[in-house]
Amino acid sequence: MYRFMENENGEPGATSNGAQSSGKTLISMHNIWKTYQMGVEELHALRDVSFQVEKGEYLAIIGPSGSGKSTLMNLIGCLDSPTKGEYWINGNLVSDMTDDELARIRNKEIGFVFQTFNLLARATALHNVELPLIYAGMRAGERNEKAQAALASVELGDRVTHKPNELSGGQRQRVAIARALVNHPSILLADEPTGALDSKTSVEIMALFEKLHAEGNTIIVVTHEHDVAARAHRILTIRDGQIEKDEKIR
Amino acid sequence: MDFAETLKLALSAIWAHKLRSFLTLLGMIIGVTAFMVVLSILQGFNVYVDEKIAGIGSNSFTVRRFSFDDFKDTDTIAAAQRRNKELSFDELDFLREHAQLIDKIGAKSGGGPVEIKRDNESLQDVSVSGVEPVIAQIEKTDIADGRFFSETENNNSMRVVFVGMDVANKLFPQGDALGGEITIRGIPYKIIGIQTAKGTVFGQPQDSFVQLPLKTYGLAFGGLTRGRAPYFEASARSDKVFKDAVEEARTLMRIKRKLDFGEKDNFGILTPDAISGLKDSIFGTTFIVILLVPTIALVVGAIVIMNIMLVAVTERTREIGIRKSLGAREADILKQFLYESATLATIGGIIGLILAKLIGFIVTSFLLPTVIPWYAAVIAIGVCAIVGIVAGLYPAWKAARLDPIEALRAE
Repeated sequence: MYRFMENENGEPGATSNGAQSSGKTLISMHNIWKTYQMGVEELHALRDVSFQVEKGEYLAIIGPSGSGKSTLMNLIGCLDSPTKGEYWINGNLVSDMTDDELARIRNKEIGFVFQTFNLLARATALHNVELPLIYAGMRAGERNEKAQAALASVELGDRVTHKPNELSGGQRQRVAIARALVNHPSILLADEPTGALDSKTSVEIMALFEKLHAEGNTIIVVTHEHDVAARAHRILTIRDGQIEKDEKIR
Repeated sequence: MDFAETLKLALSAIWAHKLRSFLTLLGMIIGVTAFMVVLSILQGFNVYVDEKIAGIGSNSFTVRRFSFDDFKDTDTIAAAQRRNKELSFDELDFLREHAQLIDKIGAKSGGGPVEIKRDNESLQDVSVSGVEPVIAQIEKTDIADGRFFSETENNNSMRVVFVGMDVANKLFPQGDALGGEITIRGIPYKIIGIQTAKGTVFGQPQDSFVQLPLKTYGLAFGGLTRGRAPYFEASARSDKVFKDAVEEARTLMRIKRKLDFGEKDNFGILTPDAISGLKDSIFGTTFIVILLVPTIALVVGAIVIMNIMLVAVTERTREIGIRKSLGAREADILKQFLYESATLATIGGIIGLILAKLIGFIVTSFLLPTVIPWYAAVIAIGVCAIVGIVAGLYPAWKAARLDPIEALRAE
């Protein structure tokens, strides 16, 4: 009884450590530093960044170029490891992982959407969407079914055999979104998702993001466009490698 | 990522650059083709020697006046001509009587080119020889039509002949050779049997011959001496006692010729082994040198593949970044590129093998038989795959080690 009391009073930070404990916190960053060695000088791209993202959130990360926003995105996406600090994603401590373990986390937990779509040019829409499932080791039959379903959910069910160069920009981005979602990741991580699209298509894609959010997906959008960020429910502003502002807008 | 998946990926990557892949493989293809052609000729020659020159199956041998060693140089030839007497029928009877391990033994004579005729038709350069009837059993002669001659026909010097398919076809185009009559040096003979066609070896027709009963031959050609002195052909009771049978024949010949211990044989015994040995001494070193050249082509081929794989990795840096961002591990990327280079090289090997087979067909029809042993084909393909893997190792490792962030940024 005493011990329990002690715990509750003595350590207020315990709840914030609770990626594993709460079950609702998907992303938890603690005092993250990312430092690049430029000759003899040290360049701090991120300085002591801490924040959490709950399941079902729609978060935008904004900031001017050079603010450290891309570095933060690479860390969230497990493409890179922090120099210092702890990063938990869905109960996994990824800050200490090896390259291959990071690859497995990217495959299971992260769905990337890139500015330039990053589809394989030689492959059909279907094969592009299948890729994460291939690396997850799924059998061909099941994989095909899931990829078809994912493409149908972004209204491209009739374009499965088309190659990227036979699709419009908006369609390509929707293929990329289908690919990001096909393995049911914890987070949809989008990097300037409308940066290469015209304004009308941008609106469509942002509407799709809202629909996906409404269906329960956790979305993180990295952008420098304020009207894209304004669609999110929470905005994290990065400046000089630190969190300048963290505000809920909805 | 499993095997089939990775292989499919490799094939589609190769197919995407058809011309480049083909040019990359040229070195490999030429190497494998050259290697396999040389090997197939070598193998074909082996088979040719073992089956055709030795001619008489694996468990038969001949006893002759001279041995291979006697033909080393002019001195040994001269010495052998002085020392080695012609074989005699006495000696044949002696062998026949005393040998335990010899199954059958018979005498042959002649074989020189002679003109034969049918009415006004004539055929040049036909090999005409006299043989004892038992020779057909020793040589396992294949009879297409009719029969071989009998002891009675031999003993009575009857004018009957056994002929090759070419003789039958050329002189009797109507196909009525059996029972027909041919003339050799003005004497008519009746055809009683025709041998199954054997084809050509080294451009030499194997079916242009006439065999007479030995005694008929001796009578018609002026006695079985000098150029027509007999030589013996014998078969062992079994393959197992073959060597002992040869030794037995040698010993009996030495006894009959009263040779002292330590004295050199004054006759020759030809076994398939002796012929193979001669062949090795002639062709061994030559073929090793010829085989070296294609090996160099293979090494060059490997370097070209490595080079093109390095280009492929650079070209596809962004693809590698995408794959990594989607969860590909280093091993997945490594495998992808290794499979690609191995598949590429294996395709080169298969093309080379097919070309070698085609060239082999041509050589076979014009010159001599060629044989590509199945294990050599398997080894060649295996070597190609290994060459591909070795050549792809460094490029694939480079690809696997790429930093995903850098790779995604590549154009």
